[in-house]
Amino acid sequence: MSQTPTTSNTKLAERGDLATVLGVDTAGEEDVTWTNLAGRVEPRPDPTFASRGATIRDDLGDRLDPDLLERERERIADEIGRLPDVRAAGVPDEPEGLYTEVAEPGWRLYDHLLEVGFFERLDETLPRFTAEHVETTARELVLTEPLSSALDDVGFDEGEKTALLSAVANDSERLSRWVPSNQIPDDVEFDTSTIPPLHQRAMGGALLWIRGLDRHLWQNEVLVTEEILDDAAWYVKAMLGGLFVSATAAHDLATAERFTDEQLTAALTAGTAVQIVSQEELLHAVFYITDEMRAPSELR
Amino acid sequence: MALRNDRAVQAARDIELVEIEDGYTLVGGPEESITQQHDSDRIPEVDVDQEMLSNSGEDPESWLMYGGNYEQHRVTTADLITPDTVSDLELEYELSVGTGSSMEGTPIVVPGDPPVMYQTNGPNHMKAIDPREGEVLWSYTYAVPMGVELCCDDNNRGAAVWGDKVYMTTLDSGVVALNRYTGEEEWYTSTADHEVGYSATWAPVIHDGTIYTGSAGGEYGVLGFEAAIDAESGEIQWQTDTLPEDEWVGASREHGCGTTWMTPTIDEERGVLYTAVANPGPDFDGTVRPGPNFPTCGTIALDLESGEFQWGFQSSPHDVWDYDAVAPRVLLRDVDVDDGPSEMVVGSDKTGWVYMMDAESGQLHERSQEICQHINMWEMIPHISADERIPFVPGAPGGNDWQPPSYNPETGYVYVVHQNFPQDLYWRYEEYSEGNPYWGGGLDDPASEMPDEWNESITAFAAVDPATGERVWRDWIESEDEFYMWGGSMSTATGLVFNGTQNGNLVAYDGESGDRLWEHEFDVPISASPMSWYDPGEEKQYVAVQVGGSGWLRQGTRGDTLAVFSMGA
Repeated sequence: MSQTPTTSNTKLAERGDLATVLGVDTAGEEDVTWTNLAGRVEPRPDPTFASRGATIRDDLGDRLDPDLLERERERIADEIGRLPDVRAAGVPDEPEGLYTEVAEPGWRLYDHLLEVGFFERLDETLPRFTAEHVETTARELVLTEPLSSALDDVGFDEGEKTALLSAVANDSERLSRWVPSNQIPDDVEFDTSTIPPLHQRAMGGALLWIRGLDRHLWQNEVLVTEEILDDAAWYVKAMLGGLFVSATAAHDLATAERFTDEQLTAALTAGTAVQIVSQEELLHAVFYITDEMRAPSELR
Repeated sequence: MALRNDRAVQAARDIELVEIEDGYTLVGGPEESITQQHDSDRIPEVDVDQEMLSNSGEDPESWLMYGGNYEQHRVTTADLITPDTVSDLELEYELSVGTGSSMEGTPIVVPGDPPVMYQTNGPNHMKAIDPREGEVLWSYTYAVPMGVELCCDDNNRGAAVWGDKVYMTTLDSGVVALNRYTGEEEWYTSTADHEVGYSATWAPVIHDGTIYTGSAGGEYGVLGFEAAIDAESGEIQWQTDTLPEDEWVGASREHGCGTTWMTPTIDEERGVLYTAVANPGPDFDGTVRPGPNFPTCGTIALDLESGEFQWGFQSSPHDVWDYDAVAPRVLLRDVDVDDGPSEMVVGSDKTGWVYMMDAESGQLHERSQEICQHINMWEMIPHISADERIPFVPGAPGGNDWQPPSYNPETGYVYVVHQNFPQDLYWRYEEYSEGNPYWGGGLDDPASEMPDEWNESITAFAAVDPATGERVWRDWIESEDEFYMWGGSMSTATGLVFNGTQNGNLVAYDGESGDRLWEHEFDVPISASPMSWYDPGEEKQYVAVQVGGSGWLRQGTRGDTLAVFSMGA
């Protein structure tokens, strides 16, 4: 079942931007999708992507538990599949339950990655989000067929996959505001020693937002509309999509199955990027309920 | 009463509030705390017990705690001053408190013959006063250590009483207990290290021999807490961090702030306290503290006995606008609603709305109609480009900053003060180069460009029906000097609401209609919240308010007046 975002990331203009970032001429075309872009994007190998992927593989490959990663990856996929039922349930009837359960395999994945120093290593190895890094990531992503088919398998239709791709390709400026913790200098006005690694912040943040939905929707039921619930379900799906991409990359890292080193770097970057963009979009669409967005009061 | 020979007053005068890069500090204070006795024998030695505290809201002769009662209704049951008689309200006297610093407090009054008023102001100065004539019985100045970091002013908002003692929080994040008959110090307890940015400015509240106090320092990367202290010994009973570990990513919690810098509200029936929770830290960069940052910018309920967390509600999750919830929560019982909770915790927040929450669960009963305007609300995430600025309303002072609302049992309405002034918030962002600023946030007051939609009124004072969230009436207030309105309101059981404005007017409103029935003009702003009591010895009802500019921004001219009005039977 497709869950089209109401705050759409896949508007025509944005798809046009996506095509432009990837260097594909789609003038006049309406059907700009991951799949048709994949057939037209020119590979542009970037040696730094390969070397970074190789470094991460060398550093982390032996530390990861492939069985755990595969198990939680499948469970994340199961939760993605369960989202239509979660959405159909409407406003949660208690402050913990529906969405808390959706986040659980993600938390187990997160805990394992935290334990093995995965996030710190990514911060040390991957560059900051720059327009160039994001563009290369999007290009590699669209060419990574195993990832595309994995997203197909877990229930992302063409429009939804393209939205994930747009979240990566079209948001380089937004993503650049998220800085790896080891690149934040000491002279900012807050203590940098307690700032978690960027990739941990992205994943942990996404999971906190998902889990927080039960409490938020239940407490604010009088403000919540069907549209807000639709957006909640979509952005949770998008965040889980990002987590699934990260889990797929981590599993590949542990098993050396399918990805090239370039694709590994791209998948790790893209998983984080999707988690970041989706949590910020969720914030606006679901948590910041203005008077214009809210359900009309039944009491006045 | 001449205060020129009062050593405690002189010590307070010697303390200078100095602006530093990221706030204020104090210089020039005494090395040791000072008590100056004048006529302390006049104070009746009648210890304040729990029954008196629990009945404070019902007893017209008492105002025994900051909020008037545990529910923080800020209402007097004294009934001489009514909508029909308020035009006869007259100034009884003005007392110069002699220190001329922050004047944000609400005095308390212990009934007796004479009654005794305990009044505080910045910097950590307290007086016992015979309020019949305005005579000072003793004065006390706490020796604030040099080097305290204060975001906003050298505020102290009031005292608390229990037994034979009177208590005040201190700017170095402590609580000091004084013998209330002599003004002599009994004990001092530090709740946190002021050298890392903690401070304390609010009035504590006492229930069953336990003092409840919070934390400030939310601009300095502290970790917020609420604490319970034995009122007799000063021993800390429990101290609960406001930020649950499993709600934050990694160590981002350690400097996540979520301070609790106003007086908590006590629910005697449930055995819990409700307190507002301030902004997350760092203030302006949300990317280093992802997630909702629960329960910052919201309300929490904690068990009185254990400090155990009960529930939390956020009005601005993952905040980057300094929309900290901070005004005291108001607990209402028996609200007349068709279906739903009849017991509510009301939070009037910087977001520009009033939230009615189920006292049992924290679930929202209703959110009010807007009190101030909402212009570009919650914009700027994701962070916009470095050069772009968006004026936004409410600005960082709100909405409702710390100014306490009041509840009027006669009308059933809650009365709130909301600022309505555009500011700019911006992020500096640039590639890092050694020795240069890297990124950070800034706030421009006023906004560089006023939005067309702004109505040019700097403040709104409004009545809200908690049953429906209807904004029943609203008084838009303009200020030629563009001062913010910086004090809260007081209600009377006869249907009046008193509020002081930044223009120096103490106003009595008809609580039902919002009509201004009486005004008294001072020559400096009012930044404090009024209170009232009845003195059977004099057969008069009194209204007291501290007068003088105070606060974080646009505070207005300083003053040092305690003004007392009266009306005879």
